[in-house]
Amino acid sequence: MLELLKNLAAWLTGPAQWAGPDGIATRVLEHLEYSVLATLAAAVIALPVGLLIGHTGRGAFLAVNLSSFGRALPTVGLVTLVFLAGGLSVWPVYVSLVALAVPVIITNTYAGMAAVDPEVKDAAKGVGLRGRQILWQVEVPLALPLIMTGIRLATVQVVATATIAAYVSFGGLGRYVFDGLAQRDLVQVLGGAVLVAVLAVVADLALGGLTRLLFRGRPATAR
Amino acid sequence: MNRRTALTTLLAGASAPLLAACSSGITSLKGSGAGGDSGNSSGGLVIGTANFTENQILGYLYAGVLSAAGVKATVRPNLGSREIVVPALRSGDIDLLPEYQGSLLLYLDKKATETEAGAMQNALATVVPDGLEVLPYAAAEDRDSFAVTRETAERYGLTSLDDLRRTSGKLVFGAAAEMKKRVVGLVGLKEKYGVEFKEFKALDSSGPLVKGALKKGDVDVANVFTTDVDIKENGWVLLADPRHLVPAQHIVPLIAARKADTKVRRALATLGNALTTADLTELNRKVDKDKKDPDRVAAAWLSERKLG
Amino acid sequence: MTVEWGWFPDHAGELTRLTADHLATAVPAVLFGLLIALPLAVLAHRVRPLRGFVLGASNILYTIPSLAFFVLLLPVTGLTRTTAITGLTAYTLVVLVRNTVEGLDAVPERVREASKAMGTRPLRTLLTVELPLALPVIMAGVRVATVMSISLVSVASYIGYGGLGQLFTDGFQRNFPTPVVAGVVLTLLLALAADALLVTVQRLCTPWRRGTPRSAPKLWKRA
Repeated sequence: MLELLKNLAAWLTGPAQWAGPDGIATRVLEHLEYSVLATLAAAVIALPVGLLIGHTGRGAFLAVNLSSFGRALPTVGLVTLVFLAGGLSVWPVYVSLVALAVPVIITNTYAGMAAVDPEVKDAAKGVGLRGRQILWQVEVPLALPLIMTGIRLATVQVVATATIAAYVSFGGLGRYVFDGLAQRDLVQVLGGAVLVAVLAVVADLALGGLTRLLFRGRPATAR
Repeated sequence: MNRRTALTTLLAGASAPLLAACSSGITSLKGSGAGGDSGNSSGGLVIGTANFTENQILGYLYAGVLSAAGVKATVRPNLGSREIVVPALRSGDIDLLPEYQGSLLLYLDKKATETEAGAMQNALATVVPDGLEVLPYAAAEDRDSFAVTRETAERYGLTSLDDLRRTSGKLVFGAAAEMKKRVVGLVGLKEKYGVEFKEFKALDSSGPLVKGALKKGDVDVANVFTTDVDIKENGWVLLADPRHLVPAQHIVPLIAARKADTKVRRALATLGNALTTADLTELNRKVDKDKKDPDRVAAAWLSERKLG
Repeated sequence: MTVEWGWFPDHAGELTRLTADHLATAVPAVLFGLLIALPLAVLAHRVRPLRGFVLGASNILYTIPSLAFFVLLLPVTGLTRTTAITGLTAYTLVVLVRNTVEGLDAVPERVREASKAMGTRPLRTLLTVELPLALPVIMAGVRVATVMSISLVSVASYIGYGGLGQLFTDGFQRNFPTPVVAGVVLTLLLALAADALLVTVQRLCTPWRRGTPRSAPKLWKRA
């Protein structure tokens, strides 16, 4: 065990390990590329849907249960299926990561909208705000903490799952996990796992910090 | 099987336990002595297979002949690369593995230089870990090979691995991740042929990734198995190996000695003598192309040959 | 990409076996998860200084790529079902611990004091008052953990214990979409069926909540 940790420290700090096309620096950047693009794409798809459902109240059942469906979807299966349908490309990676992130964001966005006090909405109507104004000036600001929670959750899941890219021959930190598995090189596997975990935690903290910055000076509105 | 191989098989089979006993010292004489009645298969045995379809077919063939001999055998398909399954055999999670001579020898002994089947069988017997045994090899063989598309072969004038040196630094090599560190892989290509690649792409073992990448042009040289039906279908050129980097790769059973009794030895030997490379290629075609199940394909072949 | 429908009835036996195999890995994982999470959560609830540590640790476990987890367990537990179950158990902790802590937090202080005033011992209060009151939130966690486990089992196909996930590897290797479709669909059905079953169990276990409108499932949110 101690030996393993010593080797891990050596692996993580070796300068040769960090440089080059299969060095840690490149792999981290690749991993970030998959994660950021997938999360952004998921947000672009999921936020309007969540806001629409929350604002109109239609499709609430779908919004609530979608996250359960998303969690039930086996990522490995989805990657394989898209790979078999479309051949060797980066599509399987993005399709499965986006599919993972979309339900979480929709459900949380909806939950944030649903938690807005109806009386506040009535009051907004009372002072003459219209539907769209209520959405942007009242509902969205109040729902934002939960919306951000959804995006944070999605990001962490995407970062942890982006290792799947290596399964269909692409890069990212999953390379160390898959290659280490094939070579039974536990130090490499552990190194890859640690880097993914660190990346996920850093992404989570960064988004948490961003959220706090956005709501500075405002009373906590989370449930 | 020709007479020479038959003879070496016999010799190797006979010498294996003896050598194993010598190399592992006096203490092991009691446990894994000569003869083959030391093991006991009455509790049944578990056959593990690596993560490519041919290995699964072989696993089911083993299971079929063993069942016919009255030994209960279960197959655990798709367990991973050699680096995963051999340790699992050592720790007792599985009891029997369909293996390949050359790859197994180099896995057990990185410095091994034997490339001829009989010599390798003897070498295997000396390096096989305590508690494991290599049984006589089969007539069927499935070598690692290095394939290029016809266009690449023409463009660079490639017919053998020697020619690859001239392309040094220009081509991309695709193979399973473990090939990066194996002698029959990146290491040996550099040492024996002086080949440097522009890039090594970690893909899979003669599977959809490596073959897809070769077809698409994402890699120029791909590691594929000689029994793979896609080679012929795509007209890929297999590069000759004049310096004998790739050793003979006859199929050998690697077994936990405690399970290897006469019944098991006899059943596996009968299968080994009957199964040819052509048979194996055809079985692969049925599974990979016709999408038949490996267990059914194996069972049908065995009953056709009256072996199972 | 074409799906050969005739393949399904032809492989009914295998599909049944794989489904049973799938459950044999996923269900113990959730049970062991509960067994570990309950005491941990009670500890985190009672001993405030430990709270952040327990919740943080279970969060970090969740960010480790699942494949890496299985590989790292190989030298310890070998190529066995134990490896698969242990890995999945670790993933259930993040939800189970958090929800149990939140459920216990939500028990009103008055209730606890009333129980104390009646001379009930702390352990008895925990078992007969606090945990039953926290049950809805805990059960929501169990639902999420179960769905997650069922979906994640497929990752264990790299060590031969993937249940329905074995179909993904098989289809991938042979460029054969049919088994992959079967695996994805059956995993989804299994997860949703288990979720529905747990909802029913939850209603039977908490008769005092029947009649109140069914609340949306507790969102798994981060602190």
